[in-house]
Amino acid sequence: MINLKGVSKKYSKDSVGLDNIDLCIEAGEFVSIVGQSGTGKTTLVKLLIAEEKPTSGTIEVGDWDITNIPHRHIPFLRRQIGVVFQDFKLLPTKTVRENVAFALQVAGESRHRIFDVVPKVLDIVGLSQKHDRYPHQLSGGEQQRVVIARSLVHRPKILIGDEPTGNLDSINTQEIIEILKKINEFGTTVLLVTHNREIVNQLRDRVVTLHDGKIIADEKEGKYRL
Amino acid sequence: MLSLLRIIKFALQDMFRNFSLSFMTVLILVLMLLSVNTFVIVNVITSQAVQTVKDQIDVSVYFAPDAPDAKIEEVKTFIDSFPEVTEIVYQDRAQVLAQFKEQHKDNAEIMASIDELGNNPLGPTMIIKTREPQDYEKVIMALTIPEYENIIEAKTFGDTQKAIDRIHVITTQVERFTMVISVLFAIIAFLIIFNTIRVAIYTQRIEISIKKLVGATNWFVRGPYLVESFIFSIFSLVFGLILTRLSLYIVDPYITIIFQKPNILTDYYTTNLLYLILVQFFVVLFLTLISSLFAMRRHLKV
Repeated sequence: MINLKGVSKKYSKDSVGLDNIDLCIEAGEFVSIVGQSGTGKTTLVKLLIAEEKPTSGTIEVGDWDITNIPHRHIPFLRRQIGVVFQDFKLLPTKTVRENVAFALQVAGESRHRIFDVVPKVLDIVGLSQKHDRYPHQLSGGEQQRVVIARSLVHRPKILIGDEPTGNLDSINTQEIIEILKKINEFGTTVLLVTHNREIVNQLRDRVVTLHDGKIIADEKEGKYRL
Repeated sequence: MLSLLRIIKFALQDMFRNFSLSFMTVLILVLMLLSVNTFVIVNVITSQAVQTVKDQIDVSVYFAPDAPDAKIEEVKTFIDSFPEVTEIVYQDRAQVLAQFKEQHKDNAEIMASIDELGNNPLGPTMIIKTREPQDYEKVIMALTIPEYENIIEAKTFGDTQKAIDRIHVITTQVERFTMVISVLFAIIAFLIIFNTIRVAIYTQRIEISIKKLVGATNWFVRGPYLVESFIFSIFSLVFGLILTRLSLYIVDPYITIIFQKPNILTDYYTTNLLYLILVQFFVVLFLTLISSLFAMRRHLKV
């Protein structure tokens, strides 16, 4: 599903995001990427959504080599990968429903399909009753659930969570992780970037540990070791 | 088609939900258009002032009382052949005498002298007007030839040459000055519009990056801003013209007193309304579009 071969990302001579990493993630896996701040976790996410390009190596998502993806193809890649960000990245002037619908509108989906899909995904994340609220009228946990709903509208094969619980309390964190696990059970590959020890240890799934831009551990049923 | 409708919908939505920002952008564009229209008004007044001074200059040719009509007609035809000449007013001897008497009707001595002479001592007069003050010299020089020496008694050349030269210098300087001011104004207008749009887009840079991250193409992100630019241009133009029109009603009576000619500014705006609307609309639209595209360029690299 995701295949990185010899991938490096250098910002300058002294600043290395990733250093010659190889990583293969199969379809349907739930993989936690852990590591301290500045070890390359966010760089990895940026490379997977083509926000940045690798300095060397190759990246494949599905059967698609996105190493040197042309600029005009990037929107199509992003419509196939759901991304949940730590800072939510919701459009402040759009309601919950409009934020979720926006991901479908940019893809040119019909109004009929939007009316059909949006209530369903809002129902999955338990926000049907708050569809007409603006982001600032929601709690952090609710905002993150809107982001998950938005990332699900295209039924993505891959869902990437970039520190999705970083701004949440423990109760909301647990709720978000439960939703991600449920999404994974439906067959979506989930890539969770986190430095939350409790969550990683609780998941008992594959854990990839990054340090100084290198993979220092990759365990099938791993634990948070740093 | 669906995308275009969505882009228009998002533009209108953004405009109303960011009402204060939209209002400030339109306000600055209106102020900019008002200053442009102020400049247009100053230009019209300056041109009118220069034209008024030019209109007051003419060259009078005084013929000898015994100058033959055929010779006078020849001079008239000769002068009329100059492309620079715009108007020739010929006054025969009787008309010149009548005018003279009218001018001096309160001076008993002059009136008595005329009556004593018995016959008309004045010759015919020809008043010539040209397009530009500097053309007078050419006309005067053309008449200063031996062939006409006996029939032309006097020309006002000597009396007005200095004034004509001075006016020529003044009008040239005024035209140069307005040209420089025009260029400065264009630069200032561009900078104001560019910065206004840049600030408006800068405040929405995070939204732009979010749109990109959820899979919007560059044109889908740009679209609403370009539509907003179009709507801002229309709004600012309409408000700018309404305010300009209102100010004309206040200013025009004062201008009428100065030039003794009614509705100079209102007439100018009425005659050139379509031209002024089109030029101002396309200039504002062009500047807002270019500014939007330029200001967004950096934020789209996500």
